[in-house]
Amino acid sequence: MGGDRLKIVLSLTPPLLIIGTLFFGGILYGFLQSLGYQPAIQKYDISFDAYYNVMFSERYAKLFWTGLGLNLWVSFVSTFLAAAFALFGALTIRKTFFAKKICNFIYSLNLPMPHLVVAVGMIFVFSQSGLLARFFTQIGFISSPSDFPILVKDKYGLGIILAYIWKEAAFFFIILMSVLQSLGENFEELAQSLGANKWQRFRYVILPLVMPNLFSASIIVFAFSFGAYEVPAILGVNYPQMLPVMAFEFFLNPDLNARSEGMALSMIIALIVMILVVIYFRLTQSKIRKD
Amino acid sequence: MSDLIISNLYKSFPGMDRPAVSNVSLEIKTGGLIAFLGPSGCGKTTILKMITGLFQPDSGDITLDNNSLLPIATEKRGVVMVFQNYLLFPYMNVNENVGFALKMKGVEKDEIDKKVKEMLELVKLPDIGDRKPKQLSGGQQQRVALARALISKPKLLLLDEPLSNLDAHLRDEMRELIVTIQQKLNVTTVFVTHDQEEAVLLADNIALIFNGELQSFASPKEYYESPVNERAARFFGGVNFLKSTINNNKIETEIGPINYIQKNKKDLISNHLLTIRPENIEISKNNSFKENYFSGTVTSIIFSGTNTRYKIKVKDTVLDCSVQSIGLKEISKNDEVFIHLPAEKIWGMND
Amino acid sequence: MDNNLKKINIYTVYLGAFLLILPLIAFFINAFSFRWFYPQLIPKELSLQAWVRLKLIPREGYRSLDGFLDLWLSNPTIIKALVNSVTIGLIVTVVSIIIALPAARVLGLLNFRFKKIIIFIMVSPTILPPIAFVLGLNINFISWGFSGSFWGVCLVHLVPIMPYVVLTMTGIFANYNPDFEHQARTLGANKFRTFYLITLPAIAPGMVVAALFAFLVSWSQYLLTFLIGAGKIMTLPLLVFSTASSGNPALTAAISIVFIFPAIVILFFTSKFISGDSSATSGFGKL
Repeated sequence: MGGDRLKIVLSLTPPLLIIGTLFFGGILYGFLQSLGYQPAIQKYDISFDAYYNVMFSERYAKLFWTGLGLNLWVSFVSTFLAAAFALFGALTIRKTFFAKKICNFIYSLNLPMPHLVVAVGMIFVFSQSGLLARFFTQIGFISSPSDFPILVKDKYGLGIILAYIWKEAAFFFIILMSVLQSLGENFEELAQSLGANKWQRFRYVILPLVMPNLFSASIIVFAFSFGAYEVPAILGVNYPQMLPVMAFEFFLNPDLNARSEGMALSMIIALIVMILVVIYFRLTQSKIRKD
Repeated sequence: MSDLIISNLYKSFPGMDRPAVSNVSLEIKTGGLIAFLGPSGCGKTTILKMITGLFQPDSGDITLDNNSLLPIATEKRGVVMVFQNYLLFPYMNVNENVGFALKMKGVEKDEIDKKVKEMLELVKLPDIGDRKPKQLSGGQQQRVALARALISKPKLLLLDEPLSNLDAHLRDEMRELIVTIQQKLNVTTVFVTHDQEEAVLLADNIALIFNGELQSFASPKEYYESPVNERAARFFGGVNFLKSTINNNKIETEIGPINYIQKNKKDLISNHLLTIRPENIEISKNNSFKENYFSGTVTSIIFSGTNTRYKIKVKDTVLDCSVQSIGLKEISKNDEVFIHLPAEKIWGMND
Repeated sequence: MDNNLKKINIYTVYLGAFLLILPLIAFFINAFSFRWFYPQLIPKELSLQAWVRLKLIPREGYRSLDGFLDLWLSNPTIIKALVNSVTIGLIVTVVSIIIALPAARVLGLLNFRFKKIIIFIMVSPTILPPIAFVLGLNINFISWGFSGSFWGVCLVHLVPIMPYVVLTMTGIFANYNPDFEHQARTLGANKFRTFYLITLPAIAPGMVVAALFAFLVSWSQYLLTFLIGAGKIMTLPLLVFSTASSGNPALTAAISIVFIFPAIVILFFTSKFISGDSSATSGFGKL
């Protein structure tokens, strides 16, 4: 049996080694750097100055808190709207109708699309001289680009929200479709035979059915959109700035102090994401206990 | 020559409070058809897996043809196993499955094709070579698995529960096939089962295993007529057990004094157990017996086709008696009857 | 009433679908247009100029096979980026599958102490954002000499990829019956032949899905490549990013089309494999 144990250890070592040294090692080192520990320049003291600076100093406080607000706003709204849009689509598309297959395909289309491309696509469609603006000009609603609202590269992160919705809706859609198709019909028919109307069926049968999957998918999407860099880098503005972009710019600053602050900011981002995941687990545990 | 000798085999797994296999020793002559019989978890499949090489024993040896198998890699042992769910390779068709062992040996393709054809005819499935396993019925899959196992003329064939997945009439066919092929090829065969009927039907000799320990290794007949202990007796359907004591060279049981002849004279301790098969007890309304007769009441009668089973209460003990239904006597429930336990049909066990 | 509601639903779905493919339409029109200005809905001039500027297609008069080869062999940025992206993607895909296979087998078939903790560790790179680890890692890579190197980029790509590959393949092994291997061994197959003839065909479909994931994740990486590559390793996403910032829509659109090409191919592939398998889809959602 010792042979078995050896086999287990040997098999698991390579991936664990990679994740251990590169991922956890990177986090650990980032954390140390955020505390000011930079052996490369012989700085060995540890302090939380970087954290303090990022959050409360005159220079950065406003930037940080507006950035945090923007982050939360963007993640919440895009996750919610993507889920709602996908739910609506899934509920309608599962019934047969003309062009159902094409719609099914289109709604799941964006799943493998890289976020970068999605962001660029938003510019093409929603910018002031973009496709939609041109369409509205053609039909006479507006007469110049400045009449069209600023939807991308705007102060409220609308472009970023649009980009995330556009891509994550496909993710929600596929999950919802599989849940609804495997379980939904039987329960719905049953409820119908017991006299429930459309809204009651939605509220008491469908919603509880999809809630668990929807919830866990939402956590994944939220956590991802909170910490991602690419989309806000393309579609964001300088103020207010989303936190990952901020952290990265700090990091690129040749001033080494700023580098610590960048690390600190990324640690804060990671912490917030972790808290969310923990809250999610607590919530699902308590749900299980209730049942 | 492929004598299989198992000596003092031990195997334990972490997390189990007793060894899975404990001091098992057996000798099986070439060409023998042997059953390892026992309830689930008794260790019989573990022994099989040590013979094939999936597990290594903690101590003990397994020799085939006077050579120890233990240092030899599984694929070189010449021991083939047929699993309970046949495990036909799903990505190959029947021909490829059956010819697999020969392909591993590097045999020429034409030769393989020829031998595959022979084997498929031997198992009476000549036309299905191109089919995939999922297109076959359970019985067909098993025959293909058998053909696949035997094509390389292995020294030892191991079968895991060969008849348990089959329904009654398929069982008979399969039994016929296994016995015929095994005798024709004279390959030493060991199969594992929890069903004593299956063991009795197929095997020349049965190794009874409880809790990792070998209870006895004997012919089916012996298990019926002279089981080694009560548990073994019960396993083979024995139901009549009488506690008895020896008093001054006389044997006293709970139903009265009894006389019997034990063919294999054993040293019985003072408190021991007597057993007799239901079909060996005689019943009569009148007492025409000279010895070992007792009177009792019929408490139930169950007709089951060829036989009729009577439960007779003698003093505080209920004995099962099984009589052929033809020639049935006029006996009804609650009748007073005499039963006779013929001396030569009684068997004594120490535990 | 119900029917009308149903109609509204359906038309809203059509509208949603239209909005969803609008960006793709925009890409294609942009990529093949010349001077497509506001407020034109259709460009006045269609041309391949963006592709010529991209140095993917030779200019007029040079469009023979030789012309193409000459252009590509002159190693323009687009070719560099394409080659790098493909090479890195293939390397990390192959490496990740080889590393993941024994681990997935052990995780899928056996039970042992710490199994849950180990699975949690394996999955953790998908939970936390890449920025949390790549900044710290970059410093280390600089001191280890990996910064700005091709292999450094490959290494760092492994981090987001390993969890998916391990998870997908563990799922495959959980549904796998190892007795088949023992059966083959008793029939005379040694360990290598058993793996090649019995195990591989059984796990091949799962491996393909895992490989597609891995490739797509690596293909889409921006932050990791930008930081660790230190500007010396050019990949497609970096090119897309820089072109997007430059403000030439036709060029941006053309590069984007090249960039999403494998995604479209994989879409067709996976529509065969994915049938509501949420572990697979959660992978794509992270892209």
